[in-house]
Amino acid sequence: MSTPVIDIQNLQKFYGSAHVLKGIDLTVSAGQVVGYIGPNGAGKSTTLKILIGMTPDYTGEVSVLGYDVKTQSMEVKRRIGYVPENAALYDLLTPIEYLHFIGQLYSLDKTAIQKKALELLRLFQLDSYADARMTTFSKGMRQKVLLISGLLHNPDIIFLDEPLSGLDANAVVLMKEIIRQLADSGKTIFYSSHIMDVVEKISDRIIIINQGRIIADGTFAELQHQRPESLEQLFAELTGSEGQSTVAGEFVHTLNS
Amino acid sequence: MMMPILFLLDRMQPLFRAFGTDYGQMRAIVAVKLTLDNRRSYATLGTLNKKAEAGNNAFVRMLGMYAFIGGLIAVMFLVAPTNESAALPLALFFAYVMVVCAMTLISDFSSVILDSADNAIVLPRPVDSRTLLMARLVHIASYLFTITLAIVAVGVLIVAAKFGAVAGLLMLVLSLLSSLLMVFLTNVFYLVLMQFISEERLREVINYFQIVMAIVFYGGYQLLPRLVDVNGLRQVFEWQWWHYLLPPFWMAGALEMVIKPVFDGPHAGLLVLAVAAPFVGLWVMNRFLSPVFSQRLAGIDQAEAGSTKPVARIAAQPAGSLAERISDWVTTSPLEKAAFGFVWHQTARDRKFKLKTYPQLGFGLAYVVIMSLNGGMGNLSKSSNFYLFALYFASLYITTAHHQLSMSDNFKAAWIYGSAPIREPGALLAGATKALLIKLMIPFYVLLSAYVLFRWGIQTLDDIVLAFFNSLVMLLATALNNNRYLPFSIAPDAVRDNATTRGFANLFILGFIGALHFGLTYVPYGVWVGIPVMATVAWYLFRRYRQTDWSAMQTAYPV
Repeated sequence: MSTPVIDIQNLQKFYGSAHVLKGIDLTVSAGQVVGYIGPNGAGKSTTLKILIGMTPDYTGEVSVLGYDVKTQSMEVKRRIGYVPENAALYDLLTPIEYLHFIGQLYSLDKTAIQKKALELLRLFQLDSYADARMTTFSKGMRQKVLLISGLLHNPDIIFLDEPLSGLDANAVVLMKEIIRQLADSGKTIFYSSHIMDVVEKISDRIIIINQGRIIADGTFAELQHQRPESLEQLFAELTGSEGQSTVAGEFVHTLNS
Repeated sequence: MMMPILFLLDRMQPLFRAFGTDYGQMRAIVAVKLTLDNRRSYATLGTLNKKAEAGNNAFVRMLGMYAFIGGLIAVMFLVAPTNESAALPLALFFAYVMVVCAMTLISDFSSVILDSADNAIVLPRPVDSRTLLMARLVHIASYLFTITLAIVAVGVLIVAAKFGAVAGLLMLVLSLLSSLLMVFLTNVFYLVLMQFISEERLREVINYFQIVMAIVFYGGYQLLPRLVDVNGLRQVFEWQWWHYLLPPFWMAGALEMVIKPVFDGPHAGLLVLAVAAPFVGLWVMNRFLSPVFSQRLAGIDQAEAGSTKPVARIAAQPAGSLAERISDWVTTSPLEKAAFGFVWHQTARDRKFKLKTYPQLGFGLAYVVIMSLNGGMGNLSKSSNFYLFALYFASLYITTAHHQLSMSDNFKAAWIYGSAPIREPGALLAGATKALLIKLMIPFYVLLSAYVLFRWGIQTLDDIVLAFFNSLVMLLATALNNNRYLPFSIAPDAVRDNATTRGFANLFILGFIGALHFGLTYVPYGVWVGIPVMATVAWYLFRRYRQTDWSAMQTAYPV
């Protein structure tokens, strides 16, 4: 294994008195697609925010591309891309204006951004909307702009938080293929999602966390080896929420009563 | 407005670089923010809910108002004094500039300073906290300087005319420095607040602060003219040691150097303080506060995300048993009860609603008390009938609040009214109105009438009762006359179809009922007879209102 691009040692994080991450240890080497999954509130987004240098108040050692994310967050941010989960963008701008703005934050050359942004928008079939304000955009269209804005500066590691939400079926296929080819070209993708079958298909390695701890780590085949089921079932079993059909039965029963 | 600002910024590029900001990034952020302001459908700058086209006009109108009031104050303070006595009036004027700046910053720009929308977009990018803070400051300063210029315009002209152009020019510079100093102090204020309270509470506290500020603001204009003694402004001013502690006196002292003219140690000290303090503040902000600030700010979203537990607990409670008990008592159908509970909780939690309603109520009370004590403003309050006028304040404010009830930033959630099988929307309206009456109007009216009773005696009791029913009639008549919307179902800027004719009709109703009451006071036992009549009218109108069917509704929910 080459030197890891992500290295986490005993990462702990508190929000007030809530112990959100209870000692995460993790190394990722270049060119991997890592699926990072867990139930709501398990600490996925928190881990991502720490990895991209947005949340410096944690304990433990976290380095990305060899930089300490606490002290060298600017170097980290310059070389990673991040697509957050709740589609926040300035939707009063047009896609071109927005991407221009983002490009300037990375001190990219203006004409280069312009050319690149237009081309990427065209590939996502948004070229006819390039100069329309995003207030009217559907969730999928916003998500596409957001994806471009996270990748525009050609980062070495890409952190994606639920990146396929709102995309239509064709765009999902396209995005999965993009992720695959990015990984093949040596980039690392760190990917968090709730959609199990997508994670199952595109990830080289799957990490499941629950209540702030890693409870499974390996390729899908390895995880499957332990219990020959689908990732969905495995996930339910590991995160202690088995018997969903019983719960569903009770739910329907309560509605009927 | 955008181009001149960016032009100025480009000229000042070296200054920003000296502060260690990445100029390219900062310029990009400022440019985007100004663009967003221009396009925002309603200006979040303050509580001006105007449409995009009107957005700029609203700002211009606000500037006009600042200039007008600033001008009045300048005339009041600055025309009378001579070179010898100018220091105190000048200090008062600078104090006014500073107070308005601080208030504007806290009430209108807190959303800009504490903008956590930036977090998701800018913080993951390689932008350091200094650059981000500087961009925010420049963004705010660009508005604040414009406002300051509007406030001091007349004052500067007066000073220039009386004491020469140099004095005028110096005053202009000192005013801008004052506003810069206020930016620093406001930031410190926020930081101190953030140390002591959680980020979520911060927004609550700022909301209450805004309410208090608004009351002070309104009340100040009432009180200020009464406090100024024109003769006092002509007295020769003696400098005291504690004057050196108050920033307005720094500015006034610096200006006095030119006006008097006088050049001595103390004045030189004041000039140094006046010029240096804002820049030292800027440096401190840049050097020490910005990392803390950004980090704290980044916590705002997380605190919100992390606070799911307590929220769930609140929801799990038997929905505020007080509201529950009252609604059992006053509502007659499940729909009414639903609307009652909804409005009861929402009016306690919706910050926009609180900000638009509570300051007016507070001011209403303060106004009545001040007017009755002071006896100024013509003979209105001297007449023994002033209390009648005062009693109708409640009605005015509650009518406005009732109007606000239909608006919410979260209006999209109103789809629920469309998808639920609601046969009689009138029941929802009735429940909402009952909640408003019990929660806001009755407590307010009780306070008001307690004061009236205390000050004018027990014989006003009949008027109090009649005015209460009249207020109800006014409220309901206006509600019936206006477009009817379900509670919290329309965008804040959507209510523009209030045709002028309707407005006049409303005014007519108010005037008519008020005049009726006034007339009745001259008829023996007239008021006592009026009470049951108006109570019946109120009851009838409420029935009509409750029977509102879908055809009478303005359905604004997105179907």
